[in-house]
Amino acid sequence: MNWGVIGTLVAKDISLYFKNRFFALITVLALVGYTVMFFVMPASVNETVEIGIYAPNLPVGILDRLAGDGVNFVAAPSREALEATILGGDQPVGLVLEAGTVARLVAGQQGRIEVLFATALPEDFRDLYTTVLGELGFLLSGRPLAVEIDEQVLGPDLAGQQIPPRQRLLPMLAVFILMMETMGLASLISTEVEEGTLQALLVTPMSMRELFVGKGLTGVTLAFVQVVLLMAVTGGLARQPLLVLVALLLGAMLVTGVGFLMASVGKDLLSVMSWGVLALLVLIIPSIGILLPGVVSGWVRAIPSHYLVDTVHRVANFGAGWGDVGVNLLALLAFSAAFLWLGGAVLRRRFA
Amino acid sequence: MPEEAIRAENLTYRYADLTAVDHIDFEVAEGEILGFLGPNGAGKSTTIKMLTGQLRPKEGRATLLGLDVVREPNRVQAQIGVSFEDTNLYEQMSAEANLKLFARLFGVRDFEPQPLLERVGLSGRGRDRVEGYSKGMKQRLMVARALVNRPRILFLDEPTEGLDPASAAAIRGIIDEERQRGATVFLTTHDMHEADLLSDRVAFLDAGSIVALDTPHALKQAYGKRLLRAETVASNGDLESREIVLDLPETAEALQALFRDEQVVTLHSEEATLEDIFIRITGRGLA
Repeated sequence: MNWGVIGTLVAKDISLYFKNRFFALITVLALVGYTVMFFVMPASVNETVEIGIYAPNLPVGILDRLAGDGVNFVAAPSREALEATILGGDQPVGLVLEAGTVARLVAGQQGRIEVLFATALPEDFRDLYTTVLGELGFLLSGRPLAVEIDEQVLGPDLAGQQIPPRQRLLPMLAVFILMMETMGLASLISTEVEEGTLQALLVTPMSMRELFVGKGLTGVTLAFVQVVLLMAVTGGLARQPLLVLVALLLGAMLVTGVGFLMASVGKDLLSVMSWGVLALLVLIIPSIGILLPGVVSGWVRAIPSHYLVDTVHRVANFGAGWGDVGVNLLALLAFSAAFLWLGGAVLRRRFA
Repeated sequence: MPEEAIRAENLTYRYADLTAVDHIDFEVAEGEILGFLGPNGAGKSTTIKMLTGQLRPKEGRATLLGLDVVREPNRVQAQIGVSFEDTNLYEQMSAEANLKLFARLFGVRDFEPQPLLERVGLSGRGRDRVEGYSKGMKQRLMVARALVNRPRILFLDEPTEGLDPASAAAIRGIIDEERQRGATVFLTTHDMHEADLLSDRVAFLDAGSIVALDTPHALKQAYGKRLLRAETVASNGDLESREIVLDLPETAEALQALFRDEQVVTLHSEEATLEDIFIRITGRGLA
């Protein structure tokens, strides 16, 4: 293996990448844009549920007694004002207690509570609010349910320290920027095939293996440097930096293999981009599961990027260690090796 | 006796059911220029690809400077330079950067691009991006790139096709210089005149097979006819042209009759061109 030749190839490819105004521009735009996107997302989670309430003649201090455990009641001066706040999206739920309702409940009589829901509130949440209000009625009437509830949290108790949306977005941004660089690499290779410069390289004393190592190193370098910059700027390297860097390096190898596959089927920039978007749509799915917990199920483990985003999420957001994500790293390594091999094999057929 | 630079034995290549090169055999001596002629699709480029290690022959073998191309491609490629039919330069890089890149890939130490650029007439434009070059300039740069490692064998695939006369002449000059340096040149071209001017020997390739291989002079002797073309004044005063084939028993009498009976205005000797011979051998032209 002639590392001088490989270094020459890498330097040439990186130089050509940034001489391509389109890729130079989208690289800078992506880095800046994703960073901005990260910082405009909320940095904290509001765990308090706000419930609007219109209750004329409510006894003083009753709302303070009812509030707590993440629930805050916001009193409205009129029913119309309450409806306006719900329609405006300030509160998802509003309660209308007619005059004397609380007194009747406390006296053990039937009372009536109107619950106003925002249209966007899911049905399951409506049922939940209704159930909670029913229980509240029992409490106010002095007849609590004859059930003792013992709360236990399995694993670390994250009450009060929920992961803010921007932190949940971070793994998705990492996949985005990795794929962006990969599309650039694939386009670079595809252009070399189409313009015949690859043919000129193949009649020099360089071996095919050196050519692939050079292309692979170019892809990994471009992807890795970009994603590390993003993670550094957004604070993603604050916890276990070495572990995050290893995961990102393996991720860069994985997408380089994907880039080889894209280059083997794409004939020009447009077709490379089309295949790239298709690959991106698949690889992005696991990070959607992190951004919106519960929307994906176990099959997501079949997508190689799961092991990257899950590792980054657990390490950067929860401080997981090597032992916690070791299996993830091994799976990511296996997928990266497989994709590099497969991409290289398919691309070699195109070179021939 | 010069050593053998290129040897092709039973060399064959097929694309699916199409046999592009069909069991060809030939040798090229060191320092020789071989013109490899044939129409589009005859198998010229496929032959070059096999000789330069880009394609693995389906049958037969090729050796360059005694090295098997399939077994030792990198050692072979270190000794050769290739100029392709289609322009394939890094257009976003300058001419100097293109040449330096390939010099590094060939392991040439302390490479200076300027002398090479001067040789191909691009010395003033070395730092310009190639995308701004004319076709002739790009083709000259391709030839320069093929020379960065001072190759012992130079493969030139249609080096002057579509070029202006000045660029074509510049490239012919470089080929001549390389011959004087002692390099072997494998030249494919449509241009029979160019092949005639430059080649020590020419091979005619048709449908993947070599149908003739010899010096241009020998081919003309074997397949062509020498003749005299005369312009004479007809009885009505117009000029008319007639041919007298040489080397025939009745040639002397025909010449005597010409000068005795006609008013000769012009008289030129002509010999068959390589194109005439190609048509005679294959029954079709080069287009």
